[in-house]
Amino acid sequence: MEMITECLKEVYDPELGVNIVDLGLVYDIQFVDGNVTIVMTLTTPGCPMHDTIVGGVRRALDTLPEVLSVDVKVVWEPAWSPHLMSDEAKEDLGYMQ
Amino acid sequence: MFRLPFLFIFTGLVSFALFQLFSLFDFATWLTVLGDQPRYPTGWSRIHLLVLGWATMIAMGAVYQLVPVVLQNHGLFSKKLGYVHYCFFAIGTAGLLIGFQTMQVMMIATFATLAFIGILLFAFNIATTLIRANKWDPITISVACSVVYLVLGGTAGMLMGLNFYFQQWGDFHERLLGAHICLAAIGWFGMLITGLSYKMLPMFYLSHGYPVRLQKVVIVLWNAGVLVGASSFLFNGPGWLKWTGLLLIVLAMITYSYHLSQMVKHRHKPNPGVGILWSYSIAHCMTIIGIILVILIPFIPELIVQSRMIVILGWLYLWGWIGLTILSYLSKIVPFLWWTHKYGPKIGKGKMPTMSDLIDDRHVRITLSVIASSLFILLVGLGWNQPMITSVGGSILALSSLFYISMIGYVFAK
Repeated sequence: MEMITECLKEVYDPELGVNIVDLGLVYDIQFVDGNVTIVMTLTTPGCPMHDTIVGGVRRALDTLPEVLSVDVKVVWEPAWSPHLMSDEAKEDLGYMQ
Repeated sequence: MFRLPFLFIFTGLVSFALFQLFSLFDFATWLTVLGDQPRYPTGWSRIHLLVLGWATMIAMGAVYQLVPVVLQNHGLFSKKLGYVHYCFFAIGTAGLLIGFQTMQVMMIATFATLAFIGILLFAFNIATTLIRANKWDPITISVACSVVYLVLGGTAGMLMGLNFYFQQWGDFHERLLGAHICLAAIGWFGMLITGLSYKMLPMFYLSHGYPVRLQKVVIVLWNAGVLVGASSFLFNGPGWLKWTGLLLIVLAMITYSYHLSQMVKHRHKPNPGVGILWSYSIAHCMTIIGIILVILIPFIPELIVQSRMIVILGWLYLWGWIGLTILSYLSKIVPFLWWTHKYGPKIGKGKMPTMSDLIDDRHVRITLSVIASSLFILLVGLGWNQPMITSVGGSILALSSLFYISMIGYVFAK
């Protein structure tokens, strides 16, 4: 699981320059018999980076030899909120309360 | 979805560069003549190069890019139709500009018809996309209204073209001109900029939890202003009715500016990028100018009667708000478009540049400041009837605009 999380940290939001894990976009990771299911969200419904980021998650995980298949589920509930970001991400963005 | 918006945006950039080059080459004549009397062949040609060749091209490209995004990846009705639309509109606009310049009525009529068919195809494509997605919110409603005004403004323009040939309507031609400007400049561009800003600002400011009720108020006021304004011209209404139209638009601008402030208040990212900061400031400046105008006009009605003042107000609105807002947004839209095309397929395969690496925000800030300052000098020259000041302002404006657009174009080399 640790390995998958580290791999997902290679997927960056190109506008914010912060990876999707630190942005708090990844809600759940499941790994069963080589099949990975990622439940994630985006910073806003109708995010222009929707396809790009989802494609990036697939590509990043495909590089792991242990992974046989990747299923990415984008959900809008619960809605993403800036407080989900890691402290590091908040600092990088100059987070404002 | 890269090629279609890119085609429109690229053509818009080329048109903009051409406009600036023409301005540089003959500013001493047309710019100053334009200050006295804008209605002559070169004036018609230049204004349509700016409004159709540049602003509308960019706006159409932005709509093709952003509408599927706003509809949460609900695809465009037909990309192929988008390319057909491009062919009609680009060829029609190019021929129309030459027709105006050489004052060949048949050429104007033929190519205006082609451009208008392009507009109708665009309207059909966007309307079908929106109806199929059936997702109605202030953004999609604003886009839908703006497209309706583009069609109505184009219709008024077509009728004027017919009258060039048949010379039947006399005074009605002038009334059509007022409605044409009102529908196209205020309706099409105004509703589109306000609508797309509801997406752009929160996205780049990372704004969350802000109230959205005022977006509906803006839509109602803006529509009312455009309809009252256009009707007052079309049916030769009294001066107070035109003023009422302006008042409604200014009230819409006040509400819009206040709403932008609400979004900024709920931001979680202090720096959204220079382009967004500028678009926000420009909206506030235009609101203040609008308020001053609404107050002054009842006391000094000559303000909107003299052709020189109309030219100044036209420059202020078209360049000061629409032009600068488009330029500001381009500094975000073009890097996004290019990044998605070039680096999007590589995301997840290691570190790569961010969008902000594709354009230097410091240069954007400096160049936009020079553009705004030179526009101010140009307007002072026009207002004081000082051709030299007008020419100096116009030349700096053209040079700085060329530099800016080169900077935007350079993104495609990164």
